[in-house]
Amino acid sequence: MIFAYLDPGTGSLILQAVVGGLAGIGVAWKAWRSKMGRGGKTDPGRGESMSEATEEGSLPAEP
Amino acid sequence: MPTPDPGSFRDPASHVVLEADKVIRLLDERGLEGWRALSGTDFFRTAVAEGRLIDAVETAEPPPGSAAAIEHPRLPFISYPYEWTFSMLKDAAILQLDLLEGALSAGLTIKDATPYNIQFVDGRPIFIDIGSFEAYREGEPWIGYRQFTRQFLFPLLLRAWVGIPFQPWLRGDLEGLTSRQMARLLPLRKRFKPSALLHVRLQARMEERMAGRAVRQELGAAGFNADLILTNVRKLRSLIQSLEWEHGVDGWSTYVECSHVTRDRTAKGEFLTEAMQRLSPTRVVDLGANDGHFSHLAAEAGALAVAVDSDEAVLDDLYRRSIGSGVAVAVTELANPSPSQGWAGVERASFVDRARPDLVIAYGLIHHLIYAASIPPREVVRWLAEFRCPVILEFVSPADDMVAKLVGNKLPQELHGDREESEFRDLLEPWFEISAEQTLTSGTRVLFALDPRPS
Repeated sequence: MIFAYLDPGTGSLILQAVVGGLAGIGVAWKAWRSKMGRGGKTDPGRGESMSEATEEGSLPAEP
Repeated sequence: MPTPDPGSFRDPASHVVLEADKVIRLLDERGLEGWRALSGTDFFRTAVAEGRLIDAVETAEPPPGSAAAIEHPRLPFISYPYEWTFSMLKDAAILQLDLLEGALSAGLTIKDATPYNIQFVDGRPIFIDIGSFEAYREGEPWIGYRQFTRQFLFPLLLRAWVGIPFQPWLRGDLEGLTSRQMARLLPLRKRFKPSALLHVRLQARMEERMAGRAVRQELGAAGFNADLILTNVRKLRSLIQSLEWEHGVDGWSTYVECSHVTRDRTAKGEFLTEAMQRLSPTRVVDLGANDGHFSHLAAEAGALAVAVDSDEAVLDDLYRRSIGSGVAVAVTELANPSPSQGWAGVERASFVDRARPDLVIAYGLIHHLIYAASIPPREVVRWLAEFRCPVILEFVSPADDMVAKLVGNKLPQELHGDREESEFRDLLEPWFEISAEQTLTSGTRVLFALDPRPS
């Protein structure tokens, strides 16, 4: 992985795929769906699911 | 004795120490990996040879605690993006994109995108942070994209599309404009341009809705690749190349048309040349430089001349005329010059600390400070003395035509004292010795060559 000291911003990361045209939009969609599309389940070991936090008004569970 | 650069701390893999005539970049193991990836490429050698990337030589023995030390030449004058003109920021943005494109073609990437990594040498932008390069790994997005938009693209849009100078914004917020701020500033006629929709409005929307969710790994798994970055880079370059700022002719820009300017120009030039011959300065700071006539004279005599003015339009023109000439430009309001600021108040040095001149030109300046900015003459003299070097100064008496225009609606009792020539000479006395003087033909202006008294 590239060693980044900057916060690249999630929306900005996804957007740069979108800027890449149709192929990029596909990549952006796939990446976002894989992030969000597991019925709001937390990624193992990453301890975050924002859909739970936003949709049910609860805080993400501690890992 | 090397001193750490107070502006170099954000990247834990690399930081800079300053020596008298060189700059040393110290790298840890991760930084060394990036340097190894960069230094072996033709891209690196070509970019250095073309003057787009700073010269870099690895030293034989790094100091304890560092994996490698890279030596760079020390640049004569450091300026910050909030002191650049529109064309300078535009040229710097194009350089950043060109280098990223070249880097990707060589299997590298640039991990940030801040104009503080770019300086101007002899009127051309040069990239100075070799610690920003790393090997590119397939699937990684462009980490610096958001920073690029905040610190390059949006400030340029602010000037080109909205008609507002970007310097006060960049000086006030060192991170630049956010996409949300830019979206709110877009004028109606630009709002539906595809580039505005994508880089500004959609980015603002997505930033807001997706904040706090990490997606770097998901992007890689979904098939993100370097071609997508290249497409983005090319679109951004074409957008930035299309941006123009039409200088309105206003204020200072009409200054050279004033009669006293052409009338006194020869005499002032000769007076300066005499002082230059006596002092042989290597670094001249021309305060209130306007079209840079005297900066060019100083540069022709072999000095580096820094032309300083608050008028971005004349300096933008000067920048474009000064490539290869030894004239550097800096936009700053002299009644409020760039302060020391950033983290701990020292990350970005003040203009006065960076200027370090051995001769100051203050032609056509002090009456603007005294009459337009209401700075007491005593304070003006004290400020000039802070440069601790000889000063070539034009004194303008209250009877001068230009003063009448500057005073405008102010009544005499609303002005500071010490404005008359004899009073001004008394103010100079404790700080400077007058080594030469010449009254100009108008009789209302006097040129002084001032040598600082030993403190």
